[in-house]
Amino acid sequence: MTSLPVIAPDETAQSLTERICAVALREGAPAWTPVWWWLAFGLSLGLLGLGVVAVMWLFYAGLGIWGIDWPVAWGLDILNYVWWIAIASGGTFISALFFLLGVEWRTALNRLAESLTLCAALCAAIFPILHLGRPWFFYWLFPYPNTMGLWAQFRSPLVWDFFAILTYVLASILFWYFGLLPDLATLRDRARGQGRRVFYGVLALGFRGSGRQWQHYRSVYAVMAALMAPLVVSVHSIVGMDFAGSAATGWHSTQFPPFFVFGAALSGFAVVLLALLPLRSLLGLHPYVTERHIDVLGRLLLTSSLCVGYAYVMDAFATFYGPDAADRTMFMLRAFGLYAPVYWGTIVLNIVFPQLLWWQSLRLTQPLVWLIALGVLTGMWLERFQIIVTSLARTQLPSAWGQYTPTIWEWSLLFGTIGLFLTAFLLIVRLMPVIAMAEMRAMLRGMR
Amino acid sequence: MPPLDRLPDDPAGHVPDDAQEWIRRFPVLEQALSHPLDRRRTLKLLALALAGGGLAGCDPGTPDRGFVSAVRAAPGVIPGVPNIYASAHVRDGYAHGILVTHQMGRPIKVEGNPAHPASLGATDIFAQAAIQDFYDPDRASGPLQDGMPASWQEVTTALQALRAQGAASGTPGLRILTGTVGSPTLGAAIDAVLAAHPGAVWHQWDAIGRDAVRQGAALAYGLPAMVIPDLRQVDVMLAVDSDMLDSAPGHLRHARAFAARRNPVRGPMNRLYAVEPTPSLTGIAADHRFIATPAGCDEIIGRLGARILRNEAPSGGPPWLEAVVADLRAHPGRALIHLGPDHGPESHAAIHAMNEALGGRGQAFGVFEPPEYGPASTQSSLSDLMDDMENGRVRALLILDVNPVYQVPRFAEALRRVPLSVALADRPHETAMAARWHIPLAHGFEEWGDARADDGTATILQPQAMPLYGGVSAVTLLRACAGEAVRSARDQVRATWRDRLGPERDWRAALAAGVVPATAAARIDAAIVPPGGPFVPVRHTSGGSADLTLLLRPDPHLWDGREANNPWLQELPRPLSKTVWGNPLLIPPDLAQARGLRNGDTVALMVGARRVELPVWVQPGQAPGCIVGFLGSGRRHAGETGNAVGTDLYPLRDESALVRMVATGRAGVVACTEHHATVIADAPSDIVRHGTLAQFRRDPAFLGNARQDEPVPAAALYRRKPDAPVAWGMSIDLNACIGCNACMTACQAENNVPVVGRSEVLRQREMHWLRIDRTYEGTQDAPDTFFQPMLCMHCEQAPCETVCPVGATMHDSEGLNVMVYNRCVGTKFCSNNCPYKVRRFNYFAFAEQERRPPISRNPDVSVRARGVMEKCTFCVQRIAQARIAADRDGVPEQVVTACQAACPTQAITFGDINDPDAAVSHRKVSPLTYVALPEQGTHPRVTYEGRIRNRNPAIAL
Repeated sequence: MTSLPVIAPDETAQSLTERICAVALREGAPAWTPVWWWLAFGLSLGLLGLGVVAVMWLFYAGLGIWGIDWPVAWGLDILNYVWWIAIASGGTFISALFFLLGVEWRTALNRLAESLTLCAALCAAIFPILHLGRPWFFYWLFPYPNTMGLWAQFRSPLVWDFFAILTYVLASILFWYFGLLPDLATLRDRARGQGRRVFYGVLALGFRGSGRQWQHYRSVYAVMAALMAPLVVSVHSIVGMDFAGSAATGWHSTQFPPFFVFGAALSGFAVVLLALLPLRSLLGLHPYVTERHIDVLGRLLLTSSLCVGYAYVMDAFATFYGPDAADRTMFMLRAFGLYAPVYWGTIVLNIVFPQLLWWQSLRLTQPLVWLIALGVLTGMWLERFQIIVTSLARTQLPSAWGQYTPTIWEWSLLFGTIGLFLTAFLLIVRLMPVIAMAEMRAMLRGMR
Repeated sequence: MPPLDRLPDDPAGHVPDDAQEWIRRFPVLEQALSHPLDRRRTLKLLALALAGGGLAGCDPGTPDRGFVSAVRAAPGVIPGVPNIYASAHVRDGYAHGILVTHQMGRPIKVEGNPAHPASLGATDIFAQAAIQDFYDPDRASGPLQDGMPASWQEVTTALQALRAQGAASGTPGLRILTGTVGSPTLGAAIDAVLAAHPGAVWHQWDAIGRDAVRQGAALAYGLPAMVIPDLRQVDVMLAVDSDMLDSAPGHLRHARAFAARRNPVRGPMNRLYAVEPTPSLTGIAADHRFIATPAGCDEIIGRLGARILRNEAPSGGPPWLEAVVADLRAHPGRALIHLGPDHGPESHAAIHAMNEALGGRGQAFGVFEPPEYGPASTQSSLSDLMDDMENGRVRALLILDVNPVYQVPRFAEALRRVPLSVALADRPHETAMAARWHIPLAHGFEEWGDARADDGTATILQPQAMPLYGGVSAVTLLRACAGEAVRSARDQVRATWRDRLGPERDWRAALAAGVVPATAAARIDAAIVPPGGPFVPVRHTSGGSADLTLLLRPDPHLWDGREANNPWLQELPRPLSKTVWGNPLLIPPDLAQARGLRNGDTVALMVGARRVELPVWVQPGQAPGCIVGFLGSGRRHAGETGNAVGTDLYPLRDESALVRMVATGRAGVVACTEHHATVIADAPSDIVRHGTLAQFRRDPAFLGNARQDEPVPAAALYRRKPDAPVAWGMSIDLNACIGCNACMTACQAENNVPVVGRSEVLRQREMHWLRIDRTYEGTQDAPDTFFQPMLCMHCEQAPCETVCPVGATMHDSEGLNVMVYNRCVGTKFCSNNCPYKVRRFNYFAFAEQERRPPISRNPDVSVRARGVMEKCTFCVQRIAQARIAADRDGVPEQVVTACQAACPTQAITFGDINDPDAAVSHRKVSPLTYVALPEQGTHPRVTYEGRIRNRNPAIAL
């Protein structure tokens, strides 16, 4: 199985650098900027515009424009937040965890994965602010010294969450940017126009490739990777505790922290596959992103899908093993009631379809893998829907049961963040090296 | 003064004569006008004109309406200190005493008058909601003639013409139409008009009448009489389609007396049987509830008569009947049968005879002089009037505060044949729009008056505020019609009571107390007229076919439709269906199944040629084949709030044709505060705990969990009980709660709880801090039904507090779970984490969107902004007031929450649970005490006493 090559055999450091730089610097054989990019970018900007309108209208009219209600006071806002932050895990898993593990296939993927993480984390970070009734006071969650003598309430999982997200977003940006420095320096050195030289030169922060700089670079990068790896676990555990830390039916579950980490891994690998497969052919990355990578990602997807499946089974088991009748009522609604399609959709998309990845031939059938990855992202969204909405819709008191139907403004915001994600990602793809050239060159040297 | 717009037309330099006055007042004008006008100066003048327009809009202040300087407060008004004035709330002629709380001279809250026998300190929803009626922005502000504004001078001229016409022709054809009149002063004024207009006729009519009750008493005793039950002395009661606890005159007193004997911990229980076609509060409160159609009720009355009056051998009938009769007979003198107003006079007479036979007179019930002024049969009175109107025998008609155009089909056509019609109405409603003249009626809070309770006790109604919109009382209008010299309403009321309240001291004492002493009606000695022969029921319900009976009943909250513009009452969930903003047709479960109808499906209801379409609502426990429609919705001219809400069912009334109901196949939308399909639990609930008296006798603590609820010391990680000297707590007795919703309205009034409107209720965003949960158990055909007030439990281990990231909801030292609105950022996590779901979120600026004027709000309670969570505070403002009073006077704090004050049955007790002598502490040690959702470990400060029913062992369930 490991016989698949991690890089095309005839690639050299020279050819790799030229090819990757050509994308960013609009030089070389392909006629840049290609039409598909403009089309995609236009679509993304359109979605982003929709999101901007949705946010403006939200600020003007208030939370009432959404479908959230009593008793379902959290809806697509928190759902999208959890979904995006889970998507943001992929880069960190691949980039930091597998860096520490020293696996060779990680090198060609890490830039792409980290960029996806960054964009997704930005999308996620919007929602904790937007979901507030009075968003202009969001900073009250932060323990800053103030004349009112007030402090954040540290027992609340939302405060933990605020810190976790802030830390994760900042760390992701730093990790991504720091890893870019040598490549930015390469671009600076190869750029022809003055403007481009200044642009990349400023971004490269004076990285010149001296031995001393490389030494510092390597040690800082290793330290950051060592920090990021536990951070990705902590952030998703804390997102899990946003729910597990409450007493609400269906949320009050001790398995939520690992369950959310599993879910995050699943979403993260899926989004990497989802972006990687089209980019590979559109940018001609076949020599560097080989079938080996697709195979590995498929296996990771399958593994995390099995972990998530285990969590689903435990969730159902705990519900019926435990004494709480309200839990069972809620579970019955989840599995057989109004929201049953959501539950079974989750199971099919997250657990059943990924089982096809047991076969290597199917793992290497790219359209199928792409569809499975898309299905997993949809499935993860549905999973959050059933966790958040069905739990709140069936609380302990039957008198306080209810339903939730998202409005067009909540959907607009979801598609708006998708627009934000794509816009940012397309800009990165267009302007930055999509493959970590310096690390690839180091790997090539190591292989020789 | 000349209008300023003439000035620019004049040639430059010339100042017209009539502008001199303006120039004298504003010297700058002289300079401005002496120069040719340029753009800049013109703009200045325009600005001046605008400012002048604003000044002109100011009330000039008439001698009797002078401004009161804010520097020197009006006498008796201290900012922040409430004043309380007694008055009464009158519905269909019967009053119950109220105390109106004022802040800075404006009425903001109604409480019951403890000294009044029909209130005993409690109020119903209508009295609580009177504040909204008073401040209703849709009330009429001036007289209208044929829909055009008219002056009071023109009104006077028209009334003079009426008198002149009467005097000239000798047969004036003047008619007066009123509702039931209980006010002696109003009655005297009517008499004065009748005296001044020979041949004039007074017609009394109520849309929701109690004719059958009055006629039944008259039949039974041979003279007008008021039969008043005394539930304090009733051990066994059979309520047949009864409204005794819901809406009958004196229902607050009945509810109090009934509930006082419902908790076995505090004394022996009474026993209530109920037979009814559709669930009522009385039926739900009963120990045994039997379901019977109206015809079935008639049959039961017949069989009861046979057994009780003529001692016939039992033959047939429902299996429980014999046990009930035996139980009634086993309590001679302390047994009572009560019949509701929807049954015929003959049935009432038969029931009275049975009650006499059971020996209850003087104990279980009394027979009194009727409190109404000139009691009359009112239904025939209206049909006589309409006959005369249609035949042109009515030349002038005074309609005083009733709305027959809306409530009586064909009245509008008849009204067109009356040359001079005058409607005295609080708003331009259907009748006021149809009449030639609309004269605005002063609200009961705006004018002097008097009223009598069901037992005859009189109250002087003092005005609570200057008229908000202008308007006159019926007494004033009638005296003007009678051609008398203008006398103030106060003088007239004073004159009425000169005999009793002659000295100023007595008058003032009666005003302060809200009760005129020794005015209760006298007992009547009349003997029962023995019924001649067996009782033969007379069919009285409208329509009917073999399988479908339509019952048209007053809306429990809108009554006959008069409250349709009251947003509190529109948004108050109907006690059983929990529907709001509309009146779906209540259909029994079997009919729903047979026709394949679900909640909200639209049907066409046809009675003869009349047809209306409305959605249905499945009502568990309704008699098979009975469909119930609430009157009072579908108003056309109620006001902006109440127009076109629900469906008008009055057109179907008084039709005797067959009732047909056809599904239209369309799904309608019904707003309901239960946002899910009706739940009928098949197992006894742990949330509403209940059992039987027999179980209680075996083990009094069989329901309670308060003892198991004691904290395990090791498990108490956080400090649980704050260590202040006072610890606030509440106990709610589910045995006493009858589900009347008075507490909900009281809470809404006290705490500025906003109304959100129909569309927002449909989006599940109602804001009630206190709700009444209704639980069904058993089968849908005959479920056990329970009410449970649900409000913030003020948990000692409050789940909401731990999840708030900014500490906006905290515990205070006295155990209150307080909400700091200013600190709330609106994460809504507290609501998600509240197991009782008693937190409400301002998704929009609901308070800002309300139509009520800001001055109508309670100034002691913050009005919440958009994006902020809110919930019950245990009336923290009342606690603060009580603390101030206690500090000042050195007496223990006496805190009564708004819900507690309004409750007719004293189901709610509040106080300091650290004080072992406090009433709440006594109640909390009851063996029935339990907490809701104990497994949540929240340690609520609100506890419930489980419901015990005194089942008759002889009746198999």
